[in-house]
Amino acid sequence: MKHYLKVYREFLNTCFSQAMSFRINFIFLIGMELIFYSTNLFTVDFIFDYVDTIGPWNRDQFLFFTAFMLTVDHMHMTFNSENFWWFSDDLKRGNLDFTLLKPISSIFTVFFRRMRPGTLPNIFTTWGLMIYFGSKLDFAWWAWAALPLLILTSYAFIISLEIIISISMFWLTEGHGVNFLRMQLQRFSQWPDFVFMYFTRKALTFFFPILLVGTAPVQLMFDASNWKYFILMLFYFGLSLITIKALWSLGLKQYESASS
Amino acid sequence: MGELNKWLETIKIAWVNLTAYKINYIIMVLGPSLTFFFVKYNLWTAIYKTNSLDMIQGYTLSQMLSYQVWTLVVGLIAQSYNSMNIAVDIRYGKISTYLIYPFDFWQYHTASFIAFFMNQIVISFLTLLALAFIGIITLPSLAIFSQALPLCFLVALLWFVVMYFIGLISFWLDETWTLRVVFIMISQFFSGAFLPLEIFPQWLMDGIKYLPFKYMTYVPVKVFMGTYTGSLSLAYIVVSLWAIAFALGSALLWRKGVKLYTAAGI
Repeated sequence: MKHYLKVYREFLNTCFSQAMSFRINFIFLIGMELIFYSTNLFTVDFIFDYVDTIGPWNRDQFLFFTAFMLTVDHMHMTFNSENFWWFSDDLKRGNLDFTLLKPISSIFTVFFRRMRPGTLPNIFTTWGLMIYFGSKLDFAWWAWAALPLLILTSYAFIISLEIIISISMFWLTEGHGVNFLRMQLQRFSQWPDFVFMYFTRKALTFFFPILLVGTAPVQLMFDASNWKYFILMLFYFGLSLITIKALWSLGLKQYESASS
Repeated sequence: MGELNKWLETIKIAWVNLTAYKINYIIMVLGPSLTFFFVKYNLWTAIYKTNSLDMIQGYTLSQMLSYQVWTLVVGLIAQSYNSMNIAVDIRYGKISTYLIYPFDFWQYHTASFIAFFMNQIVISFLTLLALAFIGIITLPSLAIFSQALPLCFLVALLWFVVMYFIGLISFWLDETWTLRVVFIMISQFFSGAFLPLEIFPQWLMDGIKYLPFKYMTYVPVKVFMGTYTGSLSLAYIVVSLWAIAFALGSALLWRKGVKLYTAAGI
């Protein structure tokens, strides 16, 4: 573990040095994310000008959920997003060879090697929004205390699901489509489960549990008796880690270095 | 004649390239639009049903769903092209070939866009037929098609020139994808791709009425639905003027950018 933390620190250092060479991109990234947050929040806000509730939630609850998911998305965007795109290119060009030669888990290097330090300042925006909308709701003290942990769990869970999808690139000649598919699945997680009709909801909760990412922790915060979905999410998270390990081994057997 | 042949051959090559990796293409092009539609379809159904509403800002549930279907179609026809290749060509020094070939960089990318547009027309019609078959919408008359399709083509052209313009900024910036995403997010939001513009608050409606966004989704969708009451000629004029402005801007960017260009790897 200590070794991995050391390596991760080196990854961070390298990414910071690289990012400082392209400073204008910092501004664009921050601007892009702020626009993304605004369009998401305004969409929900405008709809609530005409309705009192959507499903069982009122405006404040819905906006808190949206802010929660924006926080998860921000972490994803900062720490992982870029790696999925690089993975597709590395597979195509045979650059994965260099990763496989290193004396460290290749999954770790492939999916955690690159970060976008440019988006880090938005951590204040997302957490600020979440705390602002949360303060309008009567959360118990434990819900506030658990919030960082819930965010981390949701983040880890969505990453694990996306890694599973990305591994399918081993079997495809061109991986960009898989990245688009992965982004589409993210879109589903940005809405609470009750928005979806029965079969879709069941499929995206039990078969490919992307809806649990946001709904399970937020439901738990609203009402502690909603713990079952959160336990289900933890179960699926464990299952996804096992699945990743198994699929990665299969994928590596399938991998034919393009450069050799 | 020779010039026309070059265009036709390039369109053919672009078509083959587009359809070479079929699964990849379908996921990249059809996936985002279908997911966008699917989420909106579920969301609006939930909104109307949980509040037992008959109408929101003049839209019944079936009209709202119909609006979302036409948004999907307009999105597929007019707003799916991306300029990823343009930026890659510049960043990796691939434009060196265009500088010596008797077919310009803009000609190559415009021909690729035409192939893409033709492909999208086929995909859109198949999607439309499938949605009509399962009864989500009824197909409009030929007269309505003849009004809406040329407008969609103009919007697609505007979308292409904006994407081309953004791609050319690669002469100065290493990353232009952020600009592309910003444009897509802003245009989708303000064009009514998610919410019909009637849902927007008045202050925002007043603010965006001078911008071209509403002509990119809202107006073509309303024309398809047969409920557009504004001037169609004005829509054509506004979209054309913006397309011309971006085309001229692109020509300027190219002239200035190519002077800065140093071919990588040579």
